Amino acid sequence: MNTYLWLIRREFWENRAIWIVPAGIGVALTFAALFGRIDFGVAISAEQQHMIGPTVLLAYGFTFFAVMSIYSSWYLMECLYADRKDRSVLFWKSLPISDAATVLAKLFTGVIAIPLVYFLAADVSTVLMAFIVSMRAHAYLGSVLWQPELWLQLHVLWLYVILTTAVWFLPFTGWLLLVSAWAKRAVMLWLVLPPLALYGIEHWFFGSHVFGSQLTERALGYLPRAFYDRSNPSAWTTTAIGSDAITAPSSVWHVLNPIGFLSSPATWVGVLVGAAMIYGAIQLRLRRAET
Amino acid sequence: MPALIEARDLTKNYGSQLALDRVNFNVESGRIVGLIGPNGAGKTSALRAILGLTSYRGQLNVLGREPFGNRAALMQEASFIADVAVLPPWLKVEQAIDFVAGVHPRFRRDRALALLAKTQITGKRRIRELSKGMKTLVHLALTMAIDARLLVLDEPTLGLDILARRSFYDALVNDYMDATRTILITTHQVEEVENLLTHVLFIDKGRIVLDCSLDDIAARYAAVAVADDKITEARALRPFYERPMLGKTLLYFEKPDLGRLAAFGEVQRPSVSDLFVAKLS
Repeated sequence: MNTYLWLIRREFWENRAIWIVPAGIGVALTFAALFGRIDFGVAISAEQQHMIGPTVLLAYGFTFFAVMSIYSSWYLMECLYADRKDRSVLFWKSLPISDAATVLAKLFTGVIAIPLVYFLAADVSTVLMAFIVSMRAHAYLGSVLWQPELWLQLHVLWLYVILTTAVWFLPFTGWLLLVSAWAKRAVMLWLVLPPLALYGIEHWFFGSHVFGSQLTERALGYLPRAFYDRSNPSAWTTTAIGSDAITAPSSVWHVLNPIGFLSSPATWVGVLVGAAMIYGAIQLRLRRAET
Repeated sequence: MPALIEARDLTKNYGSQLALDRVNFNVESGRIVGLIGPNGAGKTSALRAILGLTSYRGQLNVLGREPFGNRAALMQEASFIADVAVLPPWLKVEQAIDFVAGVHPRFRRDRALALLAKTQITGKRRIRELSKGMKTLVHLALTMAIDARLLVLDEPTLGLDILARRSFYDALVNDYMDATRTILITTHQVEEVENLLTHVLFIDKGRIVLDCSLDDIAARYAAVAVADDKITEARALRPFYERPMLGKTLLYFEKPDLGRLAAFGEVQRPSVSDLFVAKLS
C-alpha cells in the first residue's frame, strides 16, 4: 500500500466519527422505517405513487448529505490543528512523509472519502428502508421503491454532487485547512473573524460589498451552475398530493448540467483561490511544529 | 568521508530574539554527541533546524542535504524522538506499527515486535491508556526498529522516573548503537548521559562554548582540590573556575602543567557536568 492510502487510513483511525455518525443515522432511519407511520391517509393515484418513490429516496439521501456537510467542515477545520494540539505533529514529522502529502491526504479525506462513506451508509439504509416498507405497506408503495432506473439515477446524482461540490466549494475547503494549519487556539474565531473583519472594513472604508457578495455567490451559486433550472418545463413534472403539490424533475438526466458547470468561469476561479489557500496550508504545516 | 552534519554560521531568530548565533560545528559518523546547554540556550532550535522542522539562516548540511524543505527525504535515513509525549493518544500500538511499516522503507517490523515483546504492552492498547514510561518504550521500539544513520533525541527522558530513564539509555547503547550509526542527544541532565557520550557540544546563549571529544576533556582539563592555605599559590597557575568545598577549593585548569598541579593534591579528570558548570559560569 502506498503512503497516501496509509495517510487516509490513519484519518479513519483518528476520526472514528467518520463512520460512527452515518452508521448511527442509518440505524435511526431503519428504526423509523420499522416502527414509524407509513400510511398517507389519502387515496393516492398511480401518478402520485410514481412520485413518492424518488421523493422518499431523495429525502433519505438529503438527510445524510446535510449531516455529512457539517461533519466534513468540522473535520477539515480540526484536522491540522489537532496534530499540533496533541503534539503528535512531531511524531508524524519524524516519518518520511512530506507535509504536502499529509495536507493533501486530509483534503482528500474531507472532500471525497467522508462523502463516500456517507454515500455508502445512505445506500445501505435506503435499501433496508425499501425492503422494510415493502414488507409493511401495501404492495403499491413497495413497488415504487424498487425501480432499477431510479436507483441508477440516484447513484449518479450522488457521485455527481460529491465531485461537483468538492470542486465548487474548494475556496471554503481551502479556508478551513488554512485556518486549521494557522490557529494556535480558538480555531472557530479564526474561521469567522477574518472574513467578518474584511467585510466590515470594506463596508466602512469603501462602502462596497464585493467580498460579501462574492461569499454569497459562492454559497448559493452551486445549484444554478451544476443543475438545470426550470426553464425547460418538459423536464419537470408537478403532481398534487392531497392539498400539496410537488414539482420534481421527471428524471435526474434532465437536470444534471456538467458542461455548464465545467464551462463556468466561476468554477475555475474558485479552484484557483482554493488551491492557493491549500498551498498556504502546506507552507504553514511545513513551518509550524508547535501549537 | 564528509561529516554527517555540517553547520556553518547557523543562525535562527524568533523575532528579535536570537536563538542561534552564527554557530559552527560538525558531527562525524559513528559518534554519540551530547548537545548540552541550559534551558533556552538554543538546543532545541539547533535540533529543529537539523531535522528540517524549522527554517534558518546560514548553511546546514545533514546527510548530504539541506534539511528544510527536504524533511521527507531526510527522514528516510534519519529518525528522531522529539519528546516522549508525542505519540497520538488515540493510536493503538498495533496501528502505530502497521503505519510506520507502511510508510517507512527502513522499518523492520520484527525488530519492533521483539522490543515490545520484552514489555507488558499489548498491541490492542491505545497510547492514551499507557503510562508515560510505557509510551516512551513504544516510541523507542518504533524508532529503534528503523535502520537510520542518524538518530536525534531531544530531552528523551523528560518526566520519566529513574528506572525508565536507565532502561532507555541501556537499550540505546546495547541494542541500537553500532559503528554505522550516529546519535545526537540534547539534555540538561548531563550526569545521565555522561558515560555513553563520545563527544560533547556545549551551547549557551545561542553559541557553541565547547566542542570536543571525551578523550580531549581528559587531556585538556584537570581539577585539583586545594587546601585553603595553598590557595594563593595555586591561583597563580590561573584556574578558569573555582568551586568551594568543605575546607578546600576545587580549582579547574585548562591545558594544565600536570607536574606542578600534583604538588597541590590529587589531579582529577573533571566530569562533564562539572566542566559544563565551570564553562558556563
